[in-house]
Amino acid sequence: MTARTTRLDAGVRTTLQAVGAAARRGLDDPALAELVQIRASQLNHCAFCLDMHLAGARRIGVSERQLDLLNTWEEAGEAFDERERAALALTEAVTVLTDGFAPDEVYEQAAKHFDETRIAHLIALITTINSWNRLMVARRIPPGSAEW
Amino acid sequence: MTTHEYAREHTPRLQWAKYAPQVYKTMVRLDAAAGEGLDPKLRELVRIRASQLNHCAFCLDMHTKDALAAGESVERIIQLSAWEESRHFYTEKEVAALELTDAVTVLTDGFVPDEVYEQAAEQFDEAELAQLIAVIAVINAWNRFGVTTRAVPGHYQPGQYS
Repeated sequence: MTARTTRLDAGVRTTLQAVGAAARRGLDDPALAELVQIRASQLNHCAFCLDMHLAGARRIGVSERQLDLLNTWEEAGEAFDERERAALALTEAVTVLTDGFAPDEVYEQAAKHFDETRIAHLIALITTINSWNRLMVARRIPPGSAEW
Repeated sequence: MTTHEYAREHTPRLQWAKYAPQVYKTMVRLDAAAGEGLDPKLRELVRIRASQLNHCAFCLDMHTKDALAAGESVERIIQLSAWEESRHFYTEKEVAALELTDAVTVLTDGFVPDEVYEQAAEQFDEAELAQLIAVIAVINAWNRFGVTTRAVPGHYQPGQYS
């Protein structure tokens, strides 16, 4: 499989990278950041992003069990703690906007586990990975590709 | 008893730019970079259409006003939510851009179909197409900030953030 195009404005690339870096810094939880980025990429079917963030998660020691069960985290019992579940529920709500809004109970549950600064950066991270998902799927960048 | 008063205006859930100022500033730069080189009217049609699909009230307020300020017609803005049945309001190039906007915005239902991408690639050169894809991705990002933090529509003035 080859990419449809690898073209992307350099300014767009570097500023979106900077948004993601600022979001991850503010969230200050690298393992959770990878879970969020993988879950959004599953929902948006982004092969390039899944490949990249699964590798990133393994590199920092996220467990194989969590990675295996992420696709079904709601039914995965104790594999994810309450804070992770709140972040994943928010990830799904913010990613699947076309079916509705972000429900109050989802937002409030997240607000219980994350203060204003953290939740602002968590929303920014979900938003950023959604942008990368769109840039990669639209241009059909193959997983593992060096050019993107 | 029937009341004819408007419903009360809500308050936002979170003033996110205050809590993530670096993210906000960089998003503004990203937005400018993505929009460069595209026709302002086309750009606003794409932004309105994505905001309709994502139900972002704040973004609809902002981009319909920006479209009108850029000389867009009320009719074309109204027809946008049913553009597939009102293609003759738009140029072939705009239709291709709207088709791509719909496909790239609703990723959860599938991928971006070849015929949609190819149609866009026929109407836009490679650099323009890259910008178009970037604008779609970036308005999708603003939609997510707007909806999740429940940003309040109605107060935007054209050019307010530029």
